[in-house]
Amino acid sequence: MRGSQHKKESDNLLQCIGEKLSKSTDLEQRSLGTSDQQVNLIYLKSVSHSATVNRFVISPFFEMKDEKGFEEYIASFPGSKPSHDIKEILELLLGGHVGIFFSDNKVYLFDAVRVEAGSVADAQTEVIVQGPSDSFNESLEVNLNLIRRRYQSSDLKAETTTIGHKSKTKIAIVYDETRIEPEVLKELKKRLDGISVDILQAAAELDKYLSGNKYRLFPTTIVTERPDRAVFNISEGKIVLLVDTTGFAVVLPAVFNDFFTAMDDKLQVLPVGWFLKGIRYLGLILTVLLPSFYVAFTSYNPEVWKVQIALLVAGSRATVPYPSYVEVLIMLLMMEFLTEASLRLPKAIGPTATTVGGLILGTAATEAGLVSNIMIILVSAVAISNFVIPLNMMGFTIRVVKYPFILLATLFGLLGIVLGLVGVIMYLCSLRSFGKPYFKIFGIDRVRITNSQKERENG
Amino acid sequence: MVKNKYFYYLFLINALINVVNFVPRGLIAQRFSGAMMAIVISVPIGLLLMYLCIKMMSKFPGEGIPEIFNANYPKPVTKFMLFGHTLLWYIAGLITLIAFVDVTMRYITSDVSPLLIMVGFLVVVCLAIRVTAESILYALEVVIIINVPIIIYVLFKALLNPMFSWDAVMQVITYSLKAPSYGSISYATFIFTGYLNLAVFNRAFKKIRVRHIWMIGVVGFLVLIASVLIPIGYQGTIGVERHVYPWFSTADVLRTKNFIVERVLFFFYFTYLTLSLVSSIVHWHVALEMLKGVFLTEEKKKRKIDPEWWMILAFCIVAFFAMRTNQFFRDRAGLLFLDIRLAAEFFLIASVYLAYKRREAKKRE
Repeated sequence: MRGSQHKKESDNLLQCIGEKLSKSTDLEQRSLGTSDQQVNLIYLKSVSHSATVNRFVISPFFEMKDEKGFEEYIASFPGSKPSHDIKEILELLLGGHVGIFFSDNKVYLFDAVRVEAGSVADAQTEVIVQGPSDSFNESLEVNLNLIRRRYQSSDLKAETTTIGHKSKTKIAIVYDETRIEPEVLKELKKRLDGISVDILQAAAELDKYLSGNKYRLFPTTIVTERPDRAVFNISEGKIVLLVDTTGFAVVLPAVFNDFFTAMDDKLQVLPVGWFLKGIRYLGLILTVLLPSFYVAFTSYNPEVWKVQIALLVAGSRATVPYPSYVEVLIMLLMMEFLTEASLRLPKAIGPTATTVGGLILGTAATEAGLVSNIMIILVSAVAISNFVIPLNMMGFTIRVVKYPFILLATLFGLLGIVLGLVGVIMYLCSLRSFGKPYFKIFGIDRVRITNSQKERENG
Repeated sequence: MVKNKYFYYLFLINALINVVNFVPRGLIAQRFSGAMMAIVISVPIGLLLMYLCIKMMSKFPGEGIPEIFNANYPKPVTKFMLFGHTLLWYIAGLITLIAFVDVTMRYITSDVSPLLIMVGFLVVVCLAIRVTAESILYALEVVIIINVPIIIYVLFKALLNPMFSWDAVMQVITYSLKAPSYGSISYATFIFTGYLNLAVFNRAFKKIRVRHIWMIGVVGFLVLIASVLIPIGYQGTIGVERHVYPWFSTADVLRTKNFIVERVLFFFYFTYLTLSLVSSIVHWHVALEMLKGVFLTEEKKKRKIDPEWWMILAFCIVAFFAMRTNQFFRDRAGLLFLDIRLAAEFFLIASVYLAYKRREAKKRE
């Protein structure tokens, strides 16, 4: 009597799940064994590994011939878990587990997750000259492996949560327990809980949801594809979020200076490293300010320049029929089109675009007298110095930031640029990344904390 | 919470900005009658006030004047005092801004209307004063670190120039033994007034403690000497009094051959505009917080528009009216402000001391 009741319950569960997953061609439902020793299998072919199922579930069943023994065999697998909650079972099935329904009413979920991810490839967006060149790939396990192998300490913790009502994206919070600041972790968890989206597909998206303020201009978390950067930041007391199905990790909290650090800076001799960093900041200043300085100096304050240069610019602009800000805007927009086009074009056509755009357009425009020669030099300098910034997120921000400066220079001249500078400095200083100040000229505070901790750890 | 080093920046910003706030003008006017002595005397006075203020504020770690007053004084007294301080700080920022509109008109862009320039200033300043005290301190640090090398460059350029008349300087120094007036002492002590911003910025400090206070004295003395004597060295002992902004005229004298920019004035202008804006932000932040202490003592229910905006709007409207005044009035008002300021400083420190005594008495009960 009791047995039959149990039987009914288990059958109900199976039927219910079968209904929920109906109309899916990849649903696989099998009954194994004879009528008195019946085991039911249910799984999704697309996300479960069929070979694993065949080899470790189906074959052993027929070899054993004893349901009790088979149940123990299944239960002993790492990743197998018993469950009776329909919601949990459904979730795990969708995640790639195999549901095994035994005749004595036990239900086991067997881990046969199939992960389709490329192998560990070279870094694409953050290329460096020397140093490790592997990058994260789309599998969370592989990414964790890449980090664990570089950080072999029991202090390294990895907690997982899921985000996205539909996508159920797994997220691993990876950090060094002894070095992080607990408030940051608390704040992060609070914010992760607050995220309510259907689908999460990219690490950069996570960064957007985490920061709260939609209209913020600067990235306050680093999105990186380099395991060595992630590991370095973990050792500095930061938290790394690994997002399953994306090849990128999110590092937080970030400070402004982090975006100007390339991973091979540390490999260089110290003065060379300083020089490289100096160059990057110089590039930043040039790319943001050059166009607006051009507008301010040609339209408002030609007296700032030496006479020779003022005459040179005026001579070069003699044929240009419109004010300097129009000239600057036209050329900068052309440059933006060019960058954007060469980014999206198939590799085979790419060089053509640059040739047509850069060489022909530039030369022809000056010869036609639409744009001054100096303008062309300036635009190229702006474009090149923009690419000096090692992290893409910041690079894109800086691309946008120069336009407000041009507007200010058009309205106020030199004064406008100074206004803009003070405004940007104030804005940067008011930003916080998970409660930590984002922009400070000396990052000494953090280093000192880690040093004292290092001493403690070493005894 | 920030480190104690940020206190030095608060001092430095005021010390550097004196050039715009009529301090050299006031002192140069009295160069034959005690300005030199005033400079010497101002150092101990300034340091003493600074020391007392730090001592008092360290008794209230993490608290600003509005909180201290509200907790320790009866309401009408608090409101009256806070309102008075609001006015002073507001005027301090306003003078800097208006003076800079004037400087911009005279030296940089005469094509832009002064009203538009003021709008530009106000937009930046008003958006910036709403952020936290910590953020303002960080920005202050950045701006000072960027600008101090430029200032040092200009100073070297000025002192190493063969046209600099050391004789004129020596002649003014011979008047050192004249007794100074109250006015000249109050102009000179403005250099050290930066510490007073602790009144609100103390909120960002854990427990303020300042080491090497004598260093501040040395730097302050050098800044004062430089800001009075360098214009005299270039424009002569008599000619110097004919300039409204002696320092900008002096910077315009200098020439550099190594950059694509020839006139040192532009470096100087860039430096001082950023410094003035940040200094106005500092002053107006204090003013805004004080004003909030007057009107928003107890937590009121959330309103649709933050009441801060009304205060900022009032700041802006007054600023536009102040633009309509003429040069003589501003000049007079600027120097009058410096006079009142010194007395107000004594008053503020005394009132904090009294608040401390009252708190201790309350504790004992």
